[in-house]
Amino acid sequence: MIRFLIRRLLWFLLTLWTVFTVSFFLMRAVPGGPFEGERNTETAVKQAEERRYRINQPLYQQYAYHLGMAAGVLSEEGKFRLGFPDLGPSYRIRDYSVNQIIAQGLPVSASLGILALTFGLVVGLVAGIIASLRRQSWADTSVMLLATTGMAVPNFWMAGICIILFVFMLPLFPAAGWGSLSHLVLPAFCLGAPYAAYIARLTRTGMLEVLHQDYIRTAYAKGLPARRVIMRHALKGALLPVVSFLGPAVAGILTGSLVIEKVFHLSGTGAYFVEAALQRDYTLAMGVVLVYTVVLYTMNVIVDICYAVLDPRIKLQ
Amino acid sequence: MPQTIRKLFLPTAISLLVVAVLWATSLGTLPSAEFTFNNGTEVKSLDPAQVTGSPEGRIVHALFDGLYRPDPKTLEPQPALALSANPDEILSSDGKTYTFSLRRDAQWSDGTAVTAEDFRWSWQRLLHPETASQYHFVLSAYVVNADKYNAGIVDPGDRVEIELPDRPRDLQLYPRGTMLSGKLLEIQRPPLADLLRELSDDEKAEQKRKWIYTVQVDGQQRKFSQQPPAGQDVERCLHVLLNFNQVGIRAIDPYTLQVELKNQTPYFLYLMQFYVTVPVNRECVEKFGYPDWIRPENIVVNGPFQIEFRRLRDRIRLKKNPLYWNKDAIALNTVDALAVESSTTGLNMYLEGDVDWMPSPPSEVIPQLEGREDYHAMSSLSIYFYRVNVTREPFDNPLVRMALSRAIDRERICRAILRAGQEPAYSLVPPVLTNYVAAEAPAYDLEAARRLLAQAGYPGGRGLRSIEILFNTRSDHRKVAEAIQQDWQRLGVDVRLRNLEWQTHLATTRKMEYDVARAGWIGDYPDPNTFLDLFVTDGVQNETGWGNPDFDRLIDRATREPDAAKRMQILHEAEEIIMGELPVLPIYFYVSINLVKPYVNGFFSNSQDLHPLPSISIDPLQKKKLVK
Repeated sequence: MIRFLIRRLLWFLLTLWTVFTVSFFLMRAVPGGPFEGERNTETAVKQAEERRYRINQPLYQQYAYHLGMAAGVLSEEGKFRLGFPDLGPSYRIRDYSVNQIIAQGLPVSASLGILALTFGLVVGLVAGIIASLRRQSWADTSVMLLATTGMAVPNFWMAGICIILFVFMLPLFPAAGWGSLSHLVLPAFCLGAPYAAYIARLTRTGMLEVLHQDYIRTAYAKGLPARRVIMRHALKGALLPVVSFLGPAVAGILTGSLVIEKVFHLSGTGAYFVEAALQRDYTLAMGVVLVYTVVLYTMNVIVDICYAVLDPRIKLQ
Repeated sequence: MPQTIRKLFLPTAISLLVVAVLWATSLGTLPSAEFTFNNGTEVKSLDPAQVTGSPEGRIVHALFDGLYRPDPKTLEPQPALALSANPDEILSSDGKTYTFSLRRDAQWSDGTAVTAEDFRWSWQRLLHPETASQYHFVLSAYVVNADKYNAGIVDPGDRVEIELPDRPRDLQLYPRGTMLSGKLLEIQRPPLADLLRELSDDEKAEQKRKWIYTVQVDGQQRKFSQQPPAGQDVERCLHVLLNFNQVGIRAIDPYTLQVELKNQTPYFLYLMQFYVTVPVNRECVEKFGYPDWIRPENIVVNGPFQIEFRRLRDRIRLKKNPLYWNKDAIALNTVDALAVESSTTGLNMYLEGDVDWMPSPPSEVIPQLEGREDYHAMSSLSIYFYRVNVTREPFDNPLVRMALSRAIDRERICRAILRAGQEPAYSLVPPVLTNYVAAEAPAYDLEAARRLLAQAGYPGGRGLRSIEILFNTRSDHRKVAEAIQQDWQRLGVDVRLRNLEWQTHLATTRKMEYDVARAGWIGDYPDPNTFLDLFVTDGVQNETGWGNPDFDRLIDRATREPDAAKRMQILHEAEEIIMGELPVLPIYFYVSINLVKPYVNGFFSNSQDLHPLPSISIDPLQKKKLVK
């Protein structure tokens, strides 16, 4: 297991470096720069800004500088240091560094994501199990119908409908904003619903497959009560597809959703993925991409460990 | 995998989930502010020398007091830190020197007094080339020698100041390194290697860094350069700038500030209520440096409000400044400026009562909102127009441009497409400026347009290549572009549309890689000049390739004309020229729309869409009634 983790760590560094390099050059290949606005700036002003943010240097120097800072071996002044990765100043949100921006936004996205995911997991698992056990009953049909709808409906539409229903027609929740738990109910529901739907479908399929396997029949033959067979034996096997789905899903959901954050005015990191790129805020865009990579990679490692736990046939190598 | 890990797995996973959920739900509740408004977006910065947009301006104006504040109704300058706005008291007889007496009871939030020196220092910071303020022109275009200081231009014989490269912190402009002052004797420019081709602006700036300045410092001759050549007796310096004493900004005593202008500038006091001219606290800036001095825990302000906290992309919470000189006139104790970007979400929050003032509601719902008690619309000091690239054939022919302009049915665009009270534009200067008569381009006339096109050699559009309209991606811009496409197709012109994302659009327009490009301009001060001087030959904002010496001369003459009425006449003549040649096609004048709850007092519609927070108050009785 230790060897597995060490090897994964090396791959992790390689992956991060690749992501960094590709994003760095891709971003700068797009026309337009971070300091252009409707009001045209004179050359002197533009150059002073470019000097301040080192955009005037040759690309390879900028690359080395930013890579050094992100790796935690260069300070902002370009001198050697050892410390926490520094993603540099944001070009657009001038008063903050990228580290500070992410530190402020990530907890918001993460807490919303956790609630949405918990909702998705609980509802999805329960619905999926019920549907698989009552196969082709009205319960199964309606759960699967709902699940298909839940996956097909885009979340901005769902958010709109929820706002009309639960804000304006039945004033139960605030329209948008951040401040109390009631602010989080609607966004967590809208964010979690597609996940619930997907998890329900995966659980149902997984269960149906497992329920026909020999070891389940054996368990029944041993005289175990049905509940015990399902919870102890069947569910474990049925969860495998859910677990592998959850890896990337968690990474996506924890780092925020552009649409939900926009509609409900939540100050998470989701919006930066798009806005930073559109505004050519190179450092901030790089920051969120790296954070996403880190979370995604970590989740995938955890998924692999979960596999080994759930299925004794799988070995970590 | 050991059995124990396997056994512990499920309990661990479940407890982790429970802990995570507990953490996620453990949010403190936030009491709402007395007044909440939607500021539209996260502010780019709160440093007055860095900001450019109106969301930033609203907050900066709440935190800092400058010489004047706009009257919320008329926008006329009202004394803030200056004691008087009466020209007889503050303006010299030649109309070029302002002497502002400052109030003595104004103080910073750290308890020190606000003095004339604060203005001088802050304006030096604003003008310093390294600050890279985009709005430096508010001073540099008008104040004696300010442009020279700002552009880093020095001539032999000038008094100069030299900054040595020993700043306490490399990346910080202030505090500066050791300053030397002296008299510039000579500039040695390195021989240009390649005189055959014209150098680009970037290359010129690079060259300039290698110049060697010989300066008489304390009776000694010393040589300085930003990039000294190796092996010679030249010292490295960060800047050689005109000595700031030579700039027409003087602190005569702690409470008297004098500003000397190049020319009479009738609208100078309007510029002095612009948010970039507010003073900042020197000690605070030098102690923490940029951007840390702006953090809520560090910032020192002198305005009606202070920052209580700032949550990125959520809100800025302002609280009343107990040390503000006019604190008794401030009704609000707490204000929330929300950064809601989606106008639909903003509207939801307004309708739900979470927000008291919401600017720019979504255009789709404006027909339903019109006529409501809380709906305020006002024609604004801004224009929507198309630039025409006159360096490209066939737009180099003024007849073609005139034909295209006369074929645009602006009435239809405003009445049938935009439907929010926008005014069709036939001039560059919006009609809200009441002391000026705009020079208008000929009105819509399809027959006349056809004749003009035939006259230009393209009867019925034959022989004319297809034209591309460039606009930035937004559904409103597309609708306008499609309407114009139809109009031009009636002339027999083939028109294609191309939309680009905002930053790319700007870059493409700048590089003049377009035929016709969508643009907008918001007036910086209530004077026709703010629209007209954009289009002087080779002006930074011109971007059309158009130039007309007569036009340039008129714009220049207007800056030196002391008589207000005559000046307006000269500007009118200049506008006649540009509206006769049409390097830009005016489409419509924007309208500013605000939704304001009826219990909000002190809110007025005005042409610059400025709504200063100090004059706003809430009527609690009416609010209670409305909420019930």
